[in-house]
Amino acid sequence: MSAIYLDELASQRTQWLNLRQSLIAANVSNANTPGFAAKDLPPFATVLARTQIAMTATDPGHIAPTPADYAPPQPADEDGANATLSGNSVNIEGEMTKLGETGRDANTVNAIKKIYHQMMLSALK
Amino acid sequence: MLDPLKASLQIAGAGLDAQSTRLRIISQNIANSQSTASVAGGDPYARQTVSFDSVFDRATGADLVRVKSIGVDETPFKMELDPGNPAADAQGYVKTPNVDLLIELADMREANRTYEANLQVAKQSADMMNQTVSLLKEA
Repeated sequence: MSAIYLDELASQRTQWLNLRQSLIAANVSNANTPGFAAKDLPPFATVLARTQIAMTATDPGHIAPTPADYAPPQPADEDGANATLSGNSVNIEGEMTKLGETGRDANTVNAIKKIYHQMMLSALK
Repeated sequence: MLDPLKASLQIAGAGLDAQSTRLRIISQNIANSQSTASVAGGDPYARQTVSFDSVFDRATGADLVRVKSIGVDETPFKMELDPGNPAADAQGYVKTPNVDLLIELADMREANRTYEANLQVAKQSADMMNQTVSLLKEA
């Protein structure tokens, strides 16, 4: 269903949020581990910028469209500006803020998906 | 890699486990803060320490936390003049544990806070999973 892009976009966003959630979990659980560097994902906008929307071929003579290459985002170390003496750079308050963000965004994406699905259904019925 | 949400539940679980071990050691230290030796001039209870380590878990593809080692604090014991104590040496001095209650209480607070944070992460991961499931339910 790549002709309608919203589905794919929403699922990429969900994927990004889930991955970020697991990174936050790793940061929080290693909040007291010496030498642990906190990790985070690049913002979703940069992930989106690397993804092109593929054109749909409507005639066999058309050049086959290259599928949108979705590269999964790679986690990177956060800047260790607030690293403690033990070399741990986890800021637990910051992580809790990010956790809240992730939860809210997941809520939003799910609400959009639900409404979109209702739209599809009302078109079918 | 495992589903990131499932992985985050496991990671948070490892965090809870590590912090509860820390809390166990803290309570052990506090409970033994007055434990002197049973023989004259002997060494009393030595404060124990916990150190954490991050391990890469192949199954989840994430950094889990674990208790690396439970060590012994090398700080010298405090000496108290108490000639009537059975653990007193020839000069009447008793070695008392190197446990500082203030440090233990501060450590306990920190363990408590980190435990709470891990719990919050676990709660929210479960919540996000439920949301996705409820999308299917209402369709």
